[in-house]
Amino acid sequence: MKKEAQLFKSLADETRLKMLWLLMGREELCVCDIMGVLGTTQSKASRHLRYLYHLGWVTDRRDGVWMNYRLSVAPGSPEDRQLKLLAEILSSRPEAQALRDRLEQWLAAKGQSKDGAAACQCS
Amino acid sequence: MRAEARFFKSLSDETRLKILWLLSGTEELCVCDIIDVLRITQSKASRHLRYLYHLGWVTDRRDGLRMNYRLCVLPGSSGEKLLKILEAMLASQPEAQALRGKLPRCIEAKQHAQCAGGLKPERKVTANPV
Repeated sequence: MKKEAQLFKSLADETRLKMLWLLMGREELCVCDIMGVLGTTQSKASRHLRYLYHLGWVTDRRDGVWMNYRLSVAPGSPEDRQLKLLAEILSSRPEAQALRDRLEQWLAAKGQSKDGAAACQCS
Repeated sequence: MRAEARFFKSLSDETRLKILWLLSGTEELCVCDIIDVLRITQSKASRHLRYLYHLGWVTDRRDGLRMNYRLCVLPGSSGEKLLKILEAMLASQPEAQALRGKLPRCIEAKQHAQCAGGLKPERKVTANPV
């Protein structure tokens, strides 16, 4: 039952919870998007994303020097059910909504300054 | 979002997960039942049960020196939904089933042995083979 506890542990950290919440709202995010929205350092963002990667929550896609992440939970799996529950809990939280708004603003600003990935602040 | 992280943290420990798993399969358990089934110390069991108590997962009922615990999640609440996810995850797990299977035996044995203050019933002393 260690595996199950580990799975719940991935959601037991505020930063990881926020990352999953942001990823749930978009198809794919670059590490720099998460850094920009959460205001964390690159090392912290990458560390938590690798943690989520190793537990199977997300997959990665390299794009030059940048790493992109997207959710990779199978529909109907326990992970999927956990995410749905998380979404249900957070949908009524102003703090969570504010995060999503900040993400939209961040992505809009990024899109305006040159073209998409090339505008990645971190590149 | 700290509260939500803490909510999921309740299940992020193997012992707490097992305790909730046992409690969700029965009405009420004494600390000593949990000690027996999980083979953990009384202090460890009580610590985790108090943790679950303070987060609102369980309620307690004192019975003399013994403390009994039962789940107290509201129907339709996030807690209940999370427990249902846990149930679905563990339903096909032999390890989890074995734990629940041990429960009736431990409770039955307790009725014959002494169970006071949430302490482990005394182990049967086996005679040394000559």
